[in-house]
Amino acid sequence: MLRLLSKDSLTINSLGEHFDMSRPAVSKHVKILHAAGFISIQDIGRERHCTLKQEGFHQLQEWIDYFDKFWLSKLKKLETLLHNKSIQKK
Amino acid sequence: MKKSIHHQFFFPHPPERVWEYLTNAELMAQWLMKNDFQPIVGHDFQFRTNPIPSLDFDGICYCTVLEIVPFQKLSYSWKAGPGDGKITLDTVVVWQLQPNEKGTDLVLDHSGFSAIENLSFYNGMTDGWLKNLHKIADRLNANYGTTKI
Repeated sequence: MLRLLSKDSLTINSLGEHFDMSRPAVSKHVKILHAAGFISIQDIGRERHCTLKQEGFHQLQEWIDYFDKFWLSKLKKLETLLHNKSIQKK
Repeated sequence: MKKSIHHQFFFPHPPERVWEYLTNAELMAQWLMKNDFQPIVGHDFQFRTNPIPSLDFDGICYCTVLEIVPFQKLSYSWKAGPGDGKITLDTVVVWQLQPNEKGTDLVLDHSGFSAIENLSFYNGMTDGWLKNLHKIADRLNANYGTTKI
């Protein structure tokens, strides 16, 4: 779905035509992508148009960068903690 | 583009002591975050830290214990989002402890950033096609003069 939307914005109906899925199933997929921030949905007349949101992807990369640094600093903290503990015991 | 997180640390301590710091809620809070962890498979727990508005992160990690092999392996799901139980990050954290003569190697893998995988796969494909198109254009230019893609 994201690949199709990366080429052009599509209505939920025309998006569904590319998949062997029921209409409710397509709506569910779209809803998840929307909730995750990957796409935006706009009502034009009676149709719902889906557009790819690039920020959704940038955000995921930001999560990875954040947690990468997060774990590194936490592990260093654990290292210090274990080190101090073993000195106390001696 | 990076798709998962991997860290390896050596501690000059036996696996049993390192394990304690990974599985005892009070000890975990000393270096990681406040939590209500229990070493029981299927146990739902949370880590709590300060919210990060720029990440749309309310500061709560929703976790479920997935696997416990005492002193060897621990894994839990790691979900987060902007609040109201909305999840925008759905990942898995795996800890592995490997004993050696001098202590313990602790290996951390934080993975499951799956949408990134999809995107980089897609990027790879489009780049590949673009290169091929340029190759074709070069050949056409050589044979027939200027062609524009």
